[in-house]
Amino acid sequence: MKKLKAFLAGLALCASAGAAAADGELAIYNWGNYTSPELIKKFEETYKVKVAVTDYDSNDTALAKVRAGGHGFDIVVPSANYVPIWIKEGLLLEARPDQMENFKNVDPRWVNVPWDPGRHYSVPWQWGVTGAVVDTAVYKGDINTTSIWLDPPPELVGKIDVTPEMNDVMYASIRYMGGEWCTTDKALLKKVRDKLKEAKPKWLAMDYEIVAKFAKKDYAAALYWNGAAYRAREQNPTVRFGYPKEGFPYFMDSVVILKDAKNIENAKLFMNFIMTPENAGLISNFATYANGIVGSEQFMKPGLKDAPELSVPAEFQAAGGWIETCPPEVNEIYSKIWKDLLK
Amino acid sequence: MAQRGFGTTAIACILALYLPIVILVIYAFNASGSLSKWGGFSFTWFAAAWHNQEILEASSRSLQVAVVAATLATTMATLTALATTRTAAYRGLTFKFALINLPLIVPEIVTAVALLIVFARIKVWTGYTGMGYLVAAHTAFCIPFAYLPLRARLEGMDLSLETAAADLYANPWKTFRHVTLPLLWPGIIAGFTLAFVTSLDDVVITEFVKSGGQETLPTYMLGQMRRFVTPEVNAAATGFLALSVLAVTASYFISRKRK
Repeated sequence: MKKLKAFLAGLALCASAGAAAADGELAIYNWGNYTSPELIKKFEETYKVKVAVTDYDSNDTALAKVRAGGHGFDIVVPSANYVPIWIKEGLLLEARPDQMENFKNVDPRWVNVPWDPGRHYSVPWQWGVTGAVVDTAVYKGDINTTSIWLDPPPELVGKIDVTPEMNDVMYASIRYMGGEWCTTDKALLKKVRDKLKEAKPKWLAMDYEIVAKFAKKDYAAALYWNGAAYRAREQNPTVRFGYPKEGFPYFMDSVVILKDAKNIENAKLFMNFIMTPENAGLISNFATYANGIVGSEQFMKPGLKDAPELSVPAEFQAAGGWIETCPPEVNEIYSKIWKDLLK
Repeated sequence: MAQRGFGTTAIACILALYLPIVILVIYAFNASGSLSKWGGFSFTWFAAAWHNQEILEASSRSLQVAVVAATLATTMATLTALATTRTAAYRGLTFKFALINLPLIVPEIVTAVALLIVFARIKVWTGYTGMGYLVAAHTAFCIPFAYLPLRARLEGMDLSLETAAADLYANPWKTFRHVTLPLLWPGIIAGFTLAFVTSLDDVVITEFVKSGGQETLPTYMLGQMRRFVTPEVNAAATGFLALSVLAVTASYFISRKRK
């Protein structure tokens, strides 16, 4: 018992010593493996603030924990289609990043986003697109199309991976069949379902993690995120990323401050801090996605700076769209198609 | 008298159980950044994991929680095992067994969500967000793991020694201290080891209960999965595997010596 007491006392000592080392604190709750340690270190040294980063693995986990209360976090980084839910449930502080000093650096493309018009709540963290990843050693044709995985050419049949993300798959499929996101057109959705079910036997997998599989040439094509396509190309130089002309979804994770945050001032400092090109460059260097801050490219590591995966060519920009939050009844139909597909 | 096909089935089972672990360990020594393409032997990823502040912090947190939770769980399990075996059967005893073993039966996600809701309330009321919640949660689900070997040991022990001690005017405490406890020791070690390894392993409950800055190694690894996984995770996992094997081996030798 004495030993146990000593151990507990030791633990308490460690905990208090850690807290006493800095003037302030900041608790960030972010996706796993997404926060650049270099960025955090720089922030800690600049503002003498001790930062604790905690990971989550899905938007729903994060939402569930914060909704329950008593979480102790200051900052969360939800995906674009989840931001309206956070706002609507009154979980976020209207931090007005649009009035902060460094807001001028935010790419005008990402200021008036439908899920936070004028950016009253959120600051861009990283963004990307879901598109066609293709090993051009296997298939030489046009890769800027969703037909890569929905109507695959014979060379690619049986070598395709499709991301197990309902929204990304549904978005690309609906646009491919000529519909708009959140459509309730029964005839069109039936065509979408039939097309997906027809295509599925031609896929090899519906899994996360494609980089190693492209390196080993297990996969020759995938519906996946552009940042992963960049890393796949690093290991297999013939891999290319296609922007489907029929339509592809953008995704963006944004930094927001929680209403019940304990360290609101430090959280605001962090928001302002990541809107400088130099610091945004650090974010991208770590997770290899674009960040939405103008001029950050010059601070990116060689290779990433002018990676074709990270900037959407002008001719394809119009084909991109947001996965907005559809009404619950629409969501229900999409979930049904999705479940049907997974069977 | 070996049954036909028994060997083959056993080998298939062992392969299915251990082959993934063997591959995980092999790729921890991969020189390239891939999880499936061999790029030569190296210790690069062990060095990387060793210098990764997040992995170090998460690992030490995992160990601290496991030690404290396993100690508490084993203490409680020992008392419970004594209370439920050194007694005549009575109405409600079976119910108590079921209650103690509840964490083994209830799906982990149910416990996790329930704890999230309850702890969140307490966190708001008290303002305390420390490690106490994780320790309490881990202790709770570790108790049955510590309890089962202890109860088995107590049930298998010869009662005549305890009766003899009582006959010789040893009071209950002395009987426990000098007769029961030494005989029970292997069971305690086994229970502690099981509880320790169970706590070290836990993902789901920890993911829901942890507050800010309370990443354990398993939840840290879970966070890595969606992005890109490097052999660094294999290296960290191999380190933990070695630790678990050591713990189990040590407990085996201790319990054998005491027999």
